[in-house]
Amino acid sequence: MGNNAWIKKNTFHFSDFKDLNYLVREKKRKNLTISLCLPTLNEEETIAKEIVIFRSELVLRYPLIDEIVVIDSGSTDKTREVAKAFGASVYIADEILPDLEKQKGKGENLWKALYVTSGDIIIYIDADIKNIHHRFAYALVGPLLLYDNIKYVKAFYERPIAGRRKTRPTGGGRVTELVVRPFFSLFFPEMAQIIQPLSGEYAGFRKIFEEIPFPIGYGVETSMLLDICEKWGLDVIAQVDLEKRVHRNQDTKALGRMSFAIINTFVDRLEKLGVIKTQKKLLTKMIQYKIINNEYRPDIFDIKKLERPPIIDIPEYCKKFNIDQGTKKND
Amino acid sequence: MDYILKLPEYEKVIKSIKETIITNIVLVGQVPAPTFFEQNRTKVILERMSELNIDECSTDSYQNPIGIIRGTRRNMPPLFLVAHIDTIFDEDVDHNYIVKEKYIAGPGILDNSAGVGILVSLPEIFKKLNLHFKSDIVLAGVVQSIGRGNLRGIRHLLRGWSSPIRGAICLEGCDLGRLNYYSNGMMRCEIICNISSKQGWENNFRPNAILVLYEVINRILKLRLPQKPQARVIFGKISGGVKHGKIALTAKLGFEIQSDSEAMVKEIYNDIRDIVSGISHERTVDLKLKTVSSTNPARLQFSHPLVKQTISVMKTLGIAPASENSESELSIFLANDIPAVTLGMSKGDNYHLENGSLEIEPIFTGIAQVIGVLLALDSGECDG
Ligand SMILES: Nc1nc2c(ncn2[C@@H]2O[C@H](COP(=O)(O)OP(=O)(O)OP(=O)(O)O)[C@@H](O)[C@H]2O)c(=O)[nH]1
Repeated sequence: MGNNAWIKKNTFHFSDFKDLNYLVREKKRKNLTISLCLPTLNEEETIAKEIVIFRSELVLRYPLIDEIVVIDSGSTDKTREVAKAFGASVYIADEILPDLEKQKGKGENLWKALYVTSGDIIIYIDADIKNIHHRFAYALVGPLLLYDNIKYVKAFYERPIAGRRKTRPTGGGRVTELVVRPFFSLFFPEMAQIIQPLSGEYAGFRKIFEEIPFPIGYGVETSMLLDICEKWGLDVIAQVDLEKRVHRNQDTKALGRMSFAIINTFVDRLEKLGVIKTQKKLLTKMIQYKIINNEYRPDIFDIKKLERPPIIDIPEYCKKFNIDQGTKKND
Repeated sequence: MDYILKLPEYEKVIKSIKETIITNIVLVGQVPAPTFFEQNRTKVILERMSELNIDECSTDSYQNPIGIIRGTRRNMPPLFLVAHIDTIFDEDVDHNYIVKEKYIAGPGILDNSAGVGILVSLPEIFKKLNLHFKSDIVLAGVVQSIGRGNLRGIRHLLRGWSSPIRGAICLEGCDLGRLNYYSNGMMRCEIICNISSKQGWENNFRPNAILVLYEVINRILKLRLPQKPQARVIFGKISGGVKHGKIALTAKLGFEIQSDSEAMVKEIYNDIRDIVSGISHERTVDLKLKTVSSTNPARLQFSHPLVKQTISVMKTLGIAPASENSESELSIFLANDIPAVTLGMSKGDNYHLENGSLEIEPIFTGIAQVIGVLLALDSGECDG
């Protein structure tokens, strides 16, 4: 059996959306607003370029994006200063919804963004991209504006294949190929069609984001896909080829800790779906080793499995967005 | 002349689209364009230009990217704005630029991605300033300019342009304040010494390529050069050998002969050619003299209206003009009797290094200056 029906229908290339005037018209016709959200933690080298290019191309020249918001997880460099200098709205994650207990992590950052942004559509783009280009944003909203069935769009990155008959493997990152893809193949084979499930670039309707929980750390990309698929089906998801992305590279140890969080998320979702049953509570410490003066010393990282609930369950959020808590959910 | 009074106001309006100007500099500059391999950058320049408010956009047969904004008067000869698009950096150098609060940094930014990015931004800037010109404005990126490119791009562009040209401005990334309006005659040469590995009866008694070049240099230094016409030989590059303890079998010397007299350049060249063949003969080594590029001397007089107008534009904007000879696109315009100047766009650091950087704030003054000179040209004040 072919596992590629979804790929054929729901995979796009950024050039499919390069008519920006058309996108702007559709956005107006549908009366939608769009927020671009850039999560940061010490990104002073790359953040300004991202803001400048998006502002120039998608705010000033083509009015596609209504606001550019930087949510900062507590940078100690000049990230916030630089971002402000180039006209972004800058927030410190910890200062958003200050009555809640503070948490650290990218997922926390993205979740808090839902409270301070106002768009009907939210685009998330990592702030560490060195070859940033406005296609990263317009190609992610393209399918949302042009196809009514699509509610969430994920980026992937492939070089175009030269010559039609050539074959070559797709190039997900190490954690994708070593952790996520095997899990998908074992439990949700149709989701294996998502070429880069961990890419940090995606866009979706607020309606989707506000109804799913956000793990506070690295599990957020995986959980999002699993939850959206479970709640609305794979067909509301599309993926767009943005061709090339250059970013900071992480060492294997950092990827190990990322994998820990992702595996944790998988196990959690599998349990909730009743697919597997763990006999024992999972532990929260990732143990790595280093050698100091010829001695092996453990390097222990506490990676708690903490999750923010769907933000629609937070009363302040409902108040701000005028959502009647009684009638909020469609299920 | 009332446009001169408007320049400080223009500067502010230009600054209001700083994001677009920076974006163009970055998106163009991030595409590697070593001399002779500028195709990808040409493509991006055309892409950027064709999106903006421009009437015609194409390349000539050398792949010089060209955009034309139609003027309001028919039959008025065009004004040219040019920036060379090639850089000294190879494809394998990381070309991703960094933008900080006060500067943009990356390989080739000063020479000449800033000039090109600004060239590409001009249509949007004209629109923002609501400026219309009598002449057609031709915006041309030119390929194969620097080093071995020998200004081929601009030479070809002008050769192929059948009708007269009213005037030209050449854009260079730095430094704001430069005002070039004369070019020396110049010949850029290389002397290459190769010692055959078979030569000499014993390894250690072979001639040494470095010492051969040393002798060449010494003989050139003994040439008597006149004070008038001015003439000089500049030794700018040297390389050779592989290891500290091995006799060098190859060595290369790069130099330029400069003079404001074409005949003097030729004369010195002939002298050097004689020196090279003499040493090659006497030492029985393979010694070659090659010409990499050359330009003929040409100039505007200081009293030329274009020079005068440019100086008053610069002064209005608080820029102190500084002039020296420049052998570049400018030489080719001047040699074709087209009044032209070269202007710098901003200040910078690390000129030819990978971390070259360009200050953002002065850019807006740099652009206002270009607009001022363009308006002066278009007004007819500079027509000869
Ligand atoms: N790791 C981490 N990143 C954060 C946090 N808050 C915001 N970010 C931003 O999230 C984005 C992803 O950062 P990383 O996690 O370092 O990137 P990555 O995991 O290497 O992802 P790729 O770039 O896709 O490989 C960047 O823009 C960070 O600045 C946080 O608390 N932790």
